[in-house]
Amino acid sequence: MVTRKEIKALTEREPRFDDMTSSVRAVGNQPKWITNEIREVMAIARKFTDEVVRPYVLELDLELTKNPAYLPWEFIKKANEWGLYTLFVPKMFGGQGYNLSCCGVFFEELGSACLAMANLVGVHYLGYTMLTASWNVRMLNKISLDIVDGQKKGEPCLLTLAMTEPDAGTDSQNLEMMDTGNLRCHAKKVDGGYILNGTKIFISCGHLSQWHIVHAYTDLKRASDNTVMIAVRTGTKGFSFGKKEKKMGQQGCPASELIFSDCFVPDENVCLDNRDAIRLKRNIAGTNEQIFAYIWGASRMGVGSFGTAAARNAYEEALKFASENELDGQLLINHEWCQCMLAEMYRNVAVSRATYLEATQANAMHGLWKPMNRKSLYYITKFTPARLMEKLVGWVAEKPIATTIFRKLCLDGQTEEEIDRIDGWGSIAKITGTDAGNKNCQIALEIMGQAGLRHSNRAEKILRDAKLLQIYEGTNQVNRVNVFKRLIKRSSSQAEAFSQNNI
Amino acid sequence: MIANTNKELKLIEKAAYDFSRKELWPEREENDKFPFGPFFDASLKKAYDLDFFHSILPETYGGIGQGISTLCVILENICREDSSLGGIIFTNSAAYEILIESGSEEILKKLTESADQVNKFLIAFPVFSDPSQVRHMLKATKGNDGYELSGSMEYLVLGSIANQAIVPARIQGTDSYSFFLVDLKGKGVKVSSPIHSLGLHSCPAVDLTLSNTPGKLLGQEGQGQTYFKKMVDRLSVAAASMATGIMKGSFKEAMDYTKERSQGGRKIINWSEVKLMLANMSIKIKNAEMSVAKACQALDTKESGWKECSRAAALLTQETACDITTDGIQVMGGVGFMKDFGQEKRFRDAKHIQAVFGITPVKKIKHFEELL
Repeated sequence: MVTRKEIKALTEREPRFDDMTSSVRAVGNQPKWITNEIREVMAIARKFTDEVVRPYVLELDLELTKNPAYLPWEFIKKANEWGLYTLFVPKMFGGQGYNLSCCGVFFEELGSACLAMANLVGVHYLGYTMLTASWNVRMLNKISLDIVDGQKKGEPCLLTLAMTEPDAGTDSQNLEMMDTGNLRCHAKKVDGGYILNGTKIFISCGHLSQWHIVHAYTDLKRASDNTVMIAVRTGTKGFSFGKKEKKMGQQGCPASELIFSDCFVPDENVCLDNRDAIRLKRNIAGTNEQIFAYIWGASRMGVGSFGTAAARNAYEEALKFASENELDGQLLINHEWCQCMLAEMYRNVAVSRATYLEATQANAMHGLWKPMNRKSLYYITKFTPARLMEKLVGWVAEKPIATTIFRKLCLDGQTEEEIDRIDGWGSIAKITGTDAGNKNCQIALEIMGQAGLRHSNRAEKILRDAKLLQIYEGTNQVNRVNVFKRLIKRSSSQAEAFSQNNI
Repeated sequence: MIANTNKELKLIEKAAYDFSRKELWPEREENDKFPFGPFFDASLKKAYDLDFFHSILPETYGGIGQGISTLCVILENICREDSSLGGIIFTNSAAYEILIESGSEEILKKLTESADQVNKFLIAFPVFSDPSQVRHMLKATKGNDGYELSGSMEYLVLGSIANQAIVPARIQGTDSYSFFLVDLKGKGVKVSSPIHSLGLHSCPAVDLTLSNTPGKLLGQEGQGQTYFKKMVDRLSVAAASMATGIMKGSFKEAMDYTKERSQGGRKIINWSEVKLMLANMSIKIKNAEMSVAKACQALDTKESGWKECSRAAALLTQETACDITTDGIQVMGGVGFMKDFGQEKRFRDAKHIQAVFGITPVKKIKHFEELL
């Protein structure tokens, strides 16, 4: 009926087969065992939420309302005891090595109990994602060992991602806007390292974290191709915490100001700078762009799962209320309008989940955790004894060749189409999940009326928490432009995105 | 408020907006900390001295006698910066409406003449919920010395700051409820701590327990729902004006910020996506304003269909305010979410004002059923 050539031509037409079918193509492509892992991780998350998160939700939020300076060390320690900070650290670096394809489901579970506490775990992996995106094997090994060590000693070692600045939110997150923006976090090259000066703001979990993966710039006017990704440890001279924001929601998770004042960071803590970037296939700006896509493709998928979690949590509270309260002599659940609203909420959850799972598969096959999900590497790391692997990797990680190979495979090996796909789908998952989350929170309060307003009934907290999801990791408006840039723009030869020519 | 050429009303509008900007705006973050911070007694007293609480009363009781428009103008402008005070004025007005509708002239006279302090004047009231839809109702028993009330009720607004309350209770042996005036400092009264809620933090509500507490019947036995419905029909437009005020405040703060903040090498007001969001906000706000203005005019002139206008204005504006305040945060990005700015409070207050009046779809269905 159709020739091989025709199939190729017809399926490469917009919308492209490959962009439409990550989940479909994952069948057969991805290791089967991952399904078992996802099931197991879901169970871990549910047990943790039952025993730790749910009993603490209202207390933590109320504590922060009364005392905005409070830091949730107790929770961090508890999560550390449960091993949540090493859960997704690869076994080769000493972690538990659960596959990153489990992340979305894991954070949906945590977030559907409390978004603030989900963030107290999730942000750590945002920092870890940024570190991974550099494919600096030595640094990955070094910081991973710190995290693992922190778990063993009962001294949590969390990571942050430090990008946003006081005058540069969107500007700091999009390559096209970096050079016209107001980026101020300067990295001056000196013998043996960099000296950092500047401020980062809205850094989730800053005050609670030990390592901060910072974006700084050697030339503030041309930041797009003068970016340094560098790891700064808490306690480094010249690095301090500033104010902690007073947020409407997700109060339990601090948003911190990081201040760098003549802060010397040695070369050994550099994850990626132009000395490395210049050796890669793409030009320097192209590599930085690719790294953004790596981070956002994964992290926005995660925010999509947070949004799904908010949608689900709101749905569950509304369902509970409707099942227990009567109106006009009939339980609310038996009013047709209420059934339809609950169905709408359920649909919002289901669609959001399907979307972040699709983005998960796009990442698994084309993005950050593509190498780990190759069947060969997956099963080797899965079934090789941890001690043996740690020894081997400990030795290999110190060799520059390890980083070179990973960068060759992962950075140079990734195609432009793959970059578009993961970044585009990250934004789709983020917008879909977070809009659905906010929508469901609004509906829940419409169904619950006055009862929904009481702090003790939880629904109002979910609404306050959910709003932030539409803002961080790029506002949903910026993410829409990003969908245009990654998946639509190519349909029109004259289209530009994030351009000075746009009006 | 648009479509207003009444000079007196213009002066009241200016006074309310000035009060809102000068008295409420600078302290809104601090005032919003209640009950975990101090209550804004001083601002409340000033508002009382400016007669913002008397607008609903007939002139014989010290009111302004300008009809519902006056109350709406005051509420809209107060709520631009802090709807907690709007909530207090609204609740008190609703309680006085019940007194007026029930013909409780003696009580009205006594309260308005003797009230040298705001607390003495204020009446707590479960303003926001339709008593006929409440599962647990206070019980009233008639004895030789009048009625005694027992039982518990939820969400009595102003319960921690007013000296008296109007509460619904069912007289034993009757099907429908009646309203009673209760001395909150009197026998058998237990008031909970202020309920920590989504918004309107400084418009405190409490849960109330009564045990053989004397209560004075207002109007006729079993006529509570009649008075309540009349109050709702009249004051729905006032609730709409609160929502409109919140929207206007949100829009102004958003627009001011977008003129200052730059991203991508240009002011964010010059991003056409931001412009479109602000445009949509302004269009919805103008429609809300028109809706409130029309409802006020219809109500003041007792035009046919005024009740429908009043209720429809409330349902529309309360929903719209939730959308507007969501966008009001969104155009400001991260700072919109922080308590240093006014947007997050408006977002909470808008949703509070919608939900606190009851279950939204039910309100809509009841509204429709009135049309049948």
